[in-house]
Amino acid sequence: MKNQIQHALKISWDRIAPSWPLKNLIAVNPLQGFEDLPFEEAFQKGKAYFGQEFLPQEMESVNRETMKWLQAFFDEGQATIKMPLRNLGLFKSIYTLLKFDRKLMSKWKENLPENIDLILEECLLYLKIPQEQYDEYLTLMLTTLPGWASYIKYKASWEGSNNDSYFKEYMALRLLLVYLIYPKGKELLGWHEGALCKSYAYDFETLELEYKKNLLGKININHTNFVNVEAQLVFCIDVRSEGFRRAIESVGNYETFGFAGFFGIPVNVCDDATGEHYNSCPVLLSPAHDVVMRTSLKKKFGTSRLMRKIYQSLKYNITTPFALVESLGIIAGFLMVARTFFPKLSARLSKKVSHCKVNSIDSIPFQNQCAYALNALRMMGLVDHFAPVIVLCGHGSETQNNAYASSLDCGACGGRHGGINAVILASILMRHDVRSYLAEQNIAIPESTRFVAAEHNTTTDHVEIFEGEKLIKLKSDLQKAQAIHSAQRFKTLGNGSPDVRAKDWAQVRPEWGLSGNASFIVGSRQLTKDSSLEGRSFLHSYDWTIDPKGEILTTILTAPMVVAQWINAQYLFSTLDNVAFGGGSKITKNIVGKIGIMQGNSSDLMNGLPLQSVFKSDQEAYHEPLMLLTIVHAPRSIIDRVIFEQDVLQKLFGNEWVFLTCLDPIDHTFYTLTKDLKWTTSFMET
Amino acid sequence: MFENLFYVDQLSGLILLVIGIVGVSVISFSRRYLEGDGLYGRFFGNIITLIICVVLMSISDHAVLFLFFWGMGNVFLVRLMMHKKSWEASRQSGILAGKYFTFGFFMISSGIGLLVYSSRTTSIHQMIYAKYDDNILCISLILLLLGAMAQSAIFPFHKWLISSLNSPTPVSAIMHAGLVNGGGFLLTRFAPLYVKAPYILDVIFVAGLVTAIMGTLWKLIQHDVKKMLACSTMGQMGFMMVQFGLGLFPAALTHLCFHGFFKAYLFLASGSAAREKKLELNYPPRLLDLILSFFIGILGIITFAFVGGKNLMTLDTNLFVFLITFVASVQFALPIVSNDGRAFKMIPVAVMGVISFTAFYAMCVAIVENILEPLNLIHSEPLNWIHIVGGGILCFLWIIMMMSNHLAYILDKFPYMQRLYVLMLGSSQPAPKTITSFRNNYRYKA
Repeated sequence: MKNQIQHALKISWDRIAPSWPLKNLIAVNPLQGFEDLPFEEAFQKGKAYFGQEFLPQEMESVNRETMKWLQAFFDEGQATIKMPLRNLGLFKSIYTLLKFDRKLMSKWKENLPENIDLILEECLLYLKIPQEQYDEYLTLMLTTLPGWASYIKYKASWEGSNNDSYFKEYMALRLLLVYLIYPKGKELLGWHEGALCKSYAYDFETLELEYKKNLLGKININHTNFVNVEAQLVFCIDVRSEGFRRAIESVGNYETFGFAGFFGIPVNVCDDATGEHYNSCPVLLSPAHDVVMRTSLKKKFGTSRLMRKIYQSLKYNITTPFALVESLGIIAGFLMVARTFFPKLSARLSKKVSHCKVNSIDSIPFQNQCAYALNALRMMGLVDHFAPVIVLCGHGSETQNNAYASSLDCGACGGRHGGINAVILASILMRHDVRSYLAEQNIAIPESTRFVAAEHNTTTDHVEIFEGEKLIKLKSDLQKAQAIHSAQRFKTLGNGSPDVRAKDWAQVRPEWGLSGNASFIVGSRQLTKDSSLEGRSFLHSYDWTIDPKGEILTTILTAPMVVAQWINAQYLFSTLDNVAFGGGSKITKNIVGKIGIMQGNSSDLMNGLPLQSVFKSDQEAYHEPLMLLTIVHAPRSIIDRVIFEQDVLQKLFGNEWVFLTCLDPIDHTFYTLTKDLKWTTSFMET
Repeated sequence: MFENLFYVDQLSGLILLVIGIVGVSVISFSRRYLEGDGLYGRFFGNIITLIICVVLMSISDHAVLFLFFWGMGNVFLVRLMMHKKSWEASRQSGILAGKYFTFGFFMISSGIGLLVYSSRTTSIHQMIYAKYDDNILCISLILLLLGAMAQSAIFPFHKWLISSLNSPTPVSAIMHAGLVNGGGFLLTRFAPLYVKAPYILDVIFVAGLVTAIMGTLWKLIQHDVKKMLACSTMGQMGFMMVQFGLGLFPAALTHLCFHGFFKAYLFLASGSAAREKKLELNYPPRLLDLILSFFIGILGIITFAFVGGKNLMTLDTNLFVFLITFVASVQFALPIVSNDGRAFKMIPVAVMGVISFTAFYAMCVAIVENILEPLNLIHSEPLNWIHIVGGGILCFLWIIMMMSNHLAYILDKFPYMQRLYVLMLGSSQPAPKTITSFRNNYRYKA
């Protein structure tokens, strides 16, 4: 029986996708646990598990009880008096406290064991769940409160050190509560079966084909190279870069590249003023080095910290808040008027200087620096024709009072601003010894070529160049590009200039984020240069001629493309059903434990994108739900080899979670990959 | 009968000022915050009507008119709270609040009805100076008090407030700055009558104290930002009642106004809650730091009394205000002197800080008190044992919180403390029906 429970535990948790806390909202496919199934079947099952319209009333009581305790246990700093006994772990602490709950007291049985394994057994026996349905039942324990299950999955498997015990502990807690509150809990099995029968599939095909036809039509099969460019600019692959790249290319002779926004530098950043540490790299990687970010604000920060300390000292106590409100009331009233009616002015008063200098990159060993430099240049296909100035441009957003702020920042930097990574790579590439190493690898960077770092503010489209005093022409061209691109974007956003939106505390749609994303294009910029891709494409630069074995392509398809697929799926499902897979409307959101969003008084953790990120209004969606279409400019033989070696790609392409089209440079023809992983020239095939 | 429909005095002027500033800000905020909402138009219709009702209520002099606008204000508040009726939890929040408001309305109507009947006038500002039979006065004042308590979420009428967070954020903002204060406004309006019945003031003091302590304790154990704010409002309303019970009517009103601004701001800014990092306050403080802070705290009281033009050497309820000022000053000085362990170096900073803080505090209070002066509302009562015990409890709890590291230890160690924690956590939960227990029961569509 023990083995069966272990097995069922694994199966049930495998169905749950992780979900990240507010400080780094990483996009995830909410049906990640169903990716081993063909999309249609996965969708149907997902609908049955997560899209049910009602829950038996006793199970609702179980949920209320679970939510109450999870909010207490996982709180990261909201409560001043914290839940006691948290160091005993999830199950033990709540188990101990539950015994004091008067409402449940009469329901405890004498013989209930305290050991987690025994509790699992005892509860399943008591509820009379047949052994062959253990996996189904345990899955239902998770999917009836899906947001919290996802968060616990994150805590268990993604938050730094693995903490597998959460899986068992949470399950034991759920079963215990069902045991106490809902003795007839077996009914859930029938409830779920009913839902499975009613579930239906979703058909994207017509929309997909229309988009694909349109997109392939825009690709230049016979293209020309850039010559004598003034500067080369490298942007993140993010779909928001596409429009801006088009704009900057239109105002001068510039060549642009697309590359993962962490610039291949997996670091942990320490802010020397706040002392805060964070990983600035994709969540799929773990940071290999620590760097210290320098700010000139250290002293100023000390003062503001002391003021906040005084404020909190008065606010989070008994008796003192009464005096606090009487003395700060006038100031709060003044701030409220200022932030509501003069957002730009009040933002200037509390301006945060963009701090993007590193103390030193010596913490990254020389060999690694060389490897990162070589790798980055090869991956983006920038190995010759270097321009005199090369700008490495990270990105981040600017919004006020926005719990979802990190979902608008750079996903490749773990939901952070990416300028710091650009600064590091630029400093590496400015080193003579690194350049000599690169020259040995046949990448000769001219002495006169300068690498500078920058950050693209995706909300206002302002590009800040760090330490680029002399680049006057480039800066003015960037301003022109900003004007062009923001004018285009704000047609879709409604009234309010971008600058005001970024600084307005009442704004629920500061920018559209990655809404609209639909394709991932791997190849040189020349393929797409002259047409508007409407900010819907991830663009990864790639030169197949320097990648005969497909090593670079393997990295691109298994790392950036997988991340793009997570993003794509999150936007897709948040649009299809914003209640089951999204966060719901921002107007009634409530931040719980500093980690997540609830709706109103209390609810499940509403993971996923908020309504306002993907919908223009309650009725009308802005994001068009399309599956990711990947286009690769490389010979089929290379792609075949890559797919053959990578299970994850076979899964994604074979189950139609991602569609793959190849532009074969040998015969300049488009080929589409079918679900049995064969190539076809037939356009209509998907 | 209809000669006195409206009457504007300093009290209504003050309320107009607060509701005007908060109202205009909240409306402007909502214009962007609710963009794209399916019930956008209806929302603005409701909120504007709500503000108009509150304005008219505060200047109504005719009893019937006053009750009408009081009732209508609450009706529109409930409509705003529900916003999307398809979302069952939100509908239930509205229904729950509606029940309390109906009860309150009934109490106030009876109370005012009784006063109208025995004073033979429908004008409120004449009514409050009329002469009454002791029993009738007592009954009507109790009825009014019950109404005020229901409106201001005073224990045991608090459940609706801590279950009201299904409302859109701007509704919470205007509610916590506006209609929750209705109780305080009502009592201040009838203050000249309450002065005649000091025993009722003691009842108010105790009810307020219980609510203040309960709300503040609950606030400290909440795990989400909005419920924390709601529990905090409950505590603040309790404190307002405490001031009222002490006969410090202008102080109570000062509290009401400034708390309104403060809470409205915090609700509108609640989207930033995840970014606010709790800073380590290094509790319990070192004895040296604590002693230094106590001395600086005394300096705080002196400054407060000096700037506010108050006599330090009294034995009336003003002492209670000094006590709160002292506690706040100590709490203000403590993080400064304990900063980086350089206690003596930081003394000048702490002294300057506390002096500016208390001077500013006294000024803020003085502004409101000056506005209200013509109403002649100052009736500080002589201090009695109830007040002393109340003050003692507040100080005791403050010291306990300062020991919070030990508190955590005690909670971990002693089962009876855990039992208390479970009781507090359970009792501060919103009503079950107002919780979205199953994710797909949430609705955003109208």
